[in-house]
Amino acid sequence: MKSPHSWFYLFAGTALISGSFSVCAEEKVMSENDAVMPERHFELFEKYCLECHDSLTEKGEINLEELSFRLIDDIETAETWNRVLNSINSGEMPPEDETPISNEEKTNFLRDLSENMVTARSILSDSGGEITLRRLNRREYANTIEDLLGVRPEVSSLPDDQASAEFDTMGASLFLSSDQLELYLETASRTLKLALSPGESEAEPVVRIEPEEIYTPLYLELAQNLLDRAQRNYAWQATGGRDENSKEFGYLDGWQAGKQLNSFHQYFPQVAKYLDAPETKDGAALMLTIKDGFTQIKLPGLKWNDGGKYTIRVRVGAYEDAPDRFQYLEFSRKIGQNTERLGYRKVKGTLRKPEVIEFEIDHPVGMSATYSVHKRTHEDRGDKNLWVVYRRENGFGTPWGLWVDWAELDRNEEQKPLSKVDEILFERKEAMTLPEYNREVIHRFAERALRGSEPDPGFLEKLYVRFDAGREQGMAPREALIQPLSIILSSPSFLYLVESTEGEGDSLSGQELASRLSYFLWSSPPDSELLALAKAGELSNSGVLKDQVDRLLADPRSENFVQAFVYQWLDMHRLGMFAFSGLQFPDFDNAVRDSARDEVFETVSHAIRDGASLQTLLKSNSVVINDVLADYYGIDGVEGHEFRAVQVPEGSPRGGLLGTVAVAAMGSDGIRSSPVERGAWVLRHLLNNPPPPAPPNVPQLSRLEGEVFSARELQKAHQEQAQCAQCHQKIDPIGYGLENFDASGRWREIELVTSGKRGNVVTEFPVEPAGKLVDGASFDSYYDLRDIVAERTDAFAMGLTEALISYGMGRPFGFSDAQLAHEIVSEASKADYQISAFIHALVQSTPFQSR
Amino acid sequence: MKNHFNRRAFLRSSSATIALPFLESFGFRKYVKAAEITTPPKRMIWMGMGFGVTADKWFPRQEEAGTAYEFPDILKPLERHRGDLTFIQNLMHRHSQDGHSGSTFWLTGANRYAIPGQSFHNTISVDQLAAETLGKDTRFTSIQLCAKGNSNSGGDGHGPGLSLAWNRSGKPVSGLETPVAAYHRLFSDENTPLEERQARLLEQRSVLDTVMSDARSVKRKLSKTDNEKIEEYFQSVREIEVRLSKEEQWLGVEKKHPQNPVNEPGESLLGYDELFVMADLMVAAMQVDASRVFTYRMPVDTLISSLGATMSAHTMSHFSEGERRDVSEMRDLHIAKFVASFIDKLKASKEQDGSSLYDNLSMTLGTNLFSVHTLRNCPTLVTGGGAGFSHGRNLVMSDPKTPLCNLWLSQLQGSGIKEDSFGDSTGVIDELFLG
Repeated sequence: MKSPHSWFYLFAGTALISGSFSVCAEEKVMSENDAVMPERHFELFEKYCLECHDSLTEKGEINLEELSFRLIDDIETAETWNRVLNSINSGEMPPEDETPISNEEKTNFLRDLSENMVTARSILSDSGGEITLRRLNRREYANTIEDLLGVRPEVSSLPDDQASAEFDTMGASLFLSSDQLELYLETASRTLKLALSPGESEAEPVVRIEPEEIYTPLYLELAQNLLDRAQRNYAWQATGGRDENSKEFGYLDGWQAGKQLNSFHQYFPQVAKYLDAPETKDGAALMLTIKDGFTQIKLPGLKWNDGGKYTIRVRVGAYEDAPDRFQYLEFSRKIGQNTERLGYRKVKGTLRKPEVIEFEIDHPVGMSATYSVHKRTHEDRGDKNLWVVYRRENGFGTPWGLWVDWAELDRNEEQKPLSKVDEILFERKEAMTLPEYNREVIHRFAERALRGSEPDPGFLEKLYVRFDAGREQGMAPREALIQPLSIILSSPSFLYLVESTEGEGDSLSGQELASRLSYFLWSSPPDSELLALAKAGELSNSGVLKDQVDRLLADPRSENFVQAFVYQWLDMHRLGMFAFSGLQFPDFDNAVRDSARDEVFETVSHAIRDGASLQTLLKSNSVVINDVLADYYGIDGVEGHEFRAVQVPEGSPRGGLLGTVAVAAMGSDGIRSSPVERGAWVLRHLLNNPPPPAPPNVPQLSRLEGEVFSARELQKAHQEQAQCAQCHQKIDPIGYGLENFDASGRWREIELVTSGKRGNVVTEFPVEPAGKLVDGASFDSYYDLRDIVAERTDAFAMGLTEALISYGMGRPFGFSDAQLAHEIVSEASKADYQISAFIHALVQSTPFQSR
Repeated sequence: MKNHFNRRAFLRSSSATIALPFLESFGFRKYVKAAEITTPPKRMIWMGMGFGVTADKWFPRQEEAGTAYEFPDILKPLERHRGDLTFIQNLMHRHSQDGHSGSTFWLTGANRYAIPGQSFHNTISVDQLAAETLGKDTRFTSIQLCAKGNSNSGGDGHGPGLSLAWNRSGKPVSGLETPVAAYHRLFSDENTPLEERQARLLEQRSVLDTVMSDARSVKRKLSKTDNEKIEEYFQSVREIEVRLSKEEQWLGVEKKHPQNPVNEPGESLLGYDELFVMADLMVAAMQVDASRVFTYRMPVDTLISSLGATMSAHTMSHFSEGERRDVSEMRDLHIAKFVASFIDKLKASKEQDGSSLYDNLSMTLGTNLFSVHTLRNCPTLVTGGGAGFSHGRNLVMSDPKTPLCNLWLSQLQGSGIKEDSFGDSTGVIDELFLG
């Protein structure tokens, strides 16, 4: 071994572990022997490689004759093997003029090598259980500042920490740069200004909008405009319709005259229909117009000093013939150029009997935004494209769906002040002099910001000096506080979860444990109850600790954990990676996509809350959905926007992650389903048997260009090449088993593939889901496949455990964690794999409570 | 009487009467020196495209290596400069594995996994290394431009980072996100009086001094590994101090405007139009010698949407036949139009000695991603006379895995920067210097 990296020390530990592990032969445990290429593969080197890459020739400085077959000998060895893997994968080795490796030899060699590389990487990246000093990531930073100041900071300019590691809680990968440090100072000072002087809202208590006052004149003008265009065109045509005299009729040329007549035919029928409709005399139909987007009810803008709770109230009724999707109101807010969707409400009122719908909003301090109410939207140009299709069908355009009588924005009377200014500037006792008070303000704030640790006296002294300097420059006390307090919020004691070596042994102090726990389950600092117990030394009592974990999980802040953890654990960023065409998937709009994402979070939340077994995530006879998804899944009787558990009807494929829209859509490219992505996702996240990463630079299959294939045929073609076959044999069958879901998660028996320049050629392929896993388990349908996966809850449990260890302790799961993971799984299995049991077992473990 | 007194007080505090002695003490001499330079300085520009290009159409055919090659159709607008640019094929970073990161390692060549237990590692980028030499005497050591991306839909294919630049310790360097921000950084003078700005610098130093006292007390409590981590904090503070010193040096010197000043760009400029304004700003900055090293992380998502595409950049990058491919080709074509016009401007802008900005700079257009998620044969187009390359060729390296760092090293050496190696370079690309 060349360098004493941390993984060097692991092998000592391995011997200890292997004893306790021999009892469970089925469990896949990494051991020292794992990242070793079987000696027999040297034959392949001898046969095909050594002529150029022996110790004498060393072409390209590659010497395979002396290469250690133990991949983890050192980084160089692993890298040389990686080069061997990549160059055979890409077809670069052996060179064209040399004997090619036979397919069978290649497949066997590559299978062993790629799997060993996965193990090697995991062993080499092991931190040996060491947890690196961890900086608050962007989410935690924002939550922490909000907790301290009551005002949520704007953090979009700070780096998004999710890009550089598997989880954004991993200390070693959370960096700091000088730019970032300046941004911390800036952000803190901006947010402190808002918190210390939040301003008085000047928003009207209630403002009602009568939409007909805006839209009737607007559409009247549009109608007249269109009519005028048409009349001029007809007059021009009556004179012979020649290019030269088109100017007399107000056109640039004949082409423009024609275009304007065309726009009359396109848009006039809808506008006329609108103006004729009696209900638009005292309200507005949510009509979609191709030029101006959609008819939306814009509420008065709220400014930086208007922070607080508001209710949007809308009196609204649905048209009788409106399809499901058109019966919803969508609520959004616009901040600068960006639109953010806030939620959806299904309308049960009708045109004759409208109802009043209420929608609560929290307007943050410091934000300027305009809130709007409109119909459900698609991304990109989906709505406009669909309008054209509808017009072709019904002569006017997209169905209006809803009619709005009025909408109002109501600033709720009982406003709790958001800013914590009163806590920061606590009431001064008479015995305290003013200078003493000012120092105490800084001191107490520092203590809170440092999560209960005592700030360094020298540091405090300098902070007081900064305050005094501000005062000397003539600043008011509140103004002079901003600098010292923003320095506290940019200091290492605040930005990092400092775990001191000063205590005894490796154990965390009570406060340190409290912080680790609350950032794990809340992504926020510990509250006063947790800190009080920590200071009293109570957290070392395992019963107290267990109660606290239960309390933290029951608190709404645990949503931070569920969302951040599940999003990263299940790779859910893929859900937003591709745009879905509105034309191809008219029902898969923003509401469905947003709800699909929330369905996964809510399913996990419900499982934690109800003490359900982990297995219910794999297979269940209920789903956790809202009304939007109930419509999409075709499940009746779900009213209201809250997510709740609903019995799955007979014959529905839903229930368990595999049947969710989210998982189907993540395994697609926005057009077609991708059996490879889906298969790899199942192996990675459900079966805990991750395939090697897709090799870079594999040659494209040019043979297939210009032909139309089913997804299955495409995959078969991939398997023709030996370098592909070795992994895809394992991945693809699972993906085929899920082929009954199209890219948007809809059930199908037939795959439709569109091709041709305009996408107007449609070929049909019947879905053939039957297949076999590499271990021999075979299935005939999606349902069988789901059963097979659900039987393997042990593997799923191990995957969850590894992810929890990484996320919760802030370091990559490594080789040396095998025993810990095993203990957690066996603890949880005693509690029927309740999700909270995994969390309890991790928190109770010695590693979680140690540095 | 009262009026008279006021007027005198005004004159005394106005910069007209007090500026000169201050200028003397704060680097005015440098400014004078810069004005006297007769040999034009070397300059360097890198422009990163994020997601890769349309695979089979961007490069000239490999069989047509040399000067007699057919110019790629989708890059036609650039053909008028064919004698002044060179395609280089078969360059790559051997450590790059990440199919969504076209910019993260493009200028560094680092191995993301080089440090065990750490899932991200990077090293200094070539522009920052160049800036250490070329940026000594300019107000801005280097300028990073970086289009606002869209992180929601798969991003722009640039990967982690704040711009194309990474500092000495491999940490991201932030960039100016909009033309208007770049304009103000480069050309707007602050209205605040000099004394106030001096006081502010002093204050910034006190802030740093205060956080350092906490940092030192934290350091005492930490283990060895954690101490290495907190070193990042110390390093960041040191970098800010260096920046403050430079700011102090230039405190009394007004920012110069070129003869044909650039107008303040609009706030909402995005996409295709942004490219041209950023180029104008770079040209203007070079004309007044505000900086000699520029990087530009170009827009992708906003670029294609400004060209009328309705899909995300990531969706485009998986170009299947049909609309996605059309968008990809349209993007390539418009970038070519932009670069062609940029070269026009560089050629038209004359230095004192009669040469042009073009003659003295070395510019690269490229990305670490070839197409879709392929990381070899990185798209690479070099231009400019600054590094002494001879142009007009379709250069196809015989080794399909020639380190991209060999190009960076060639550019550094060609621009007079004494470095023996860069990243995983194995040497310079000799062919670039041969006529």
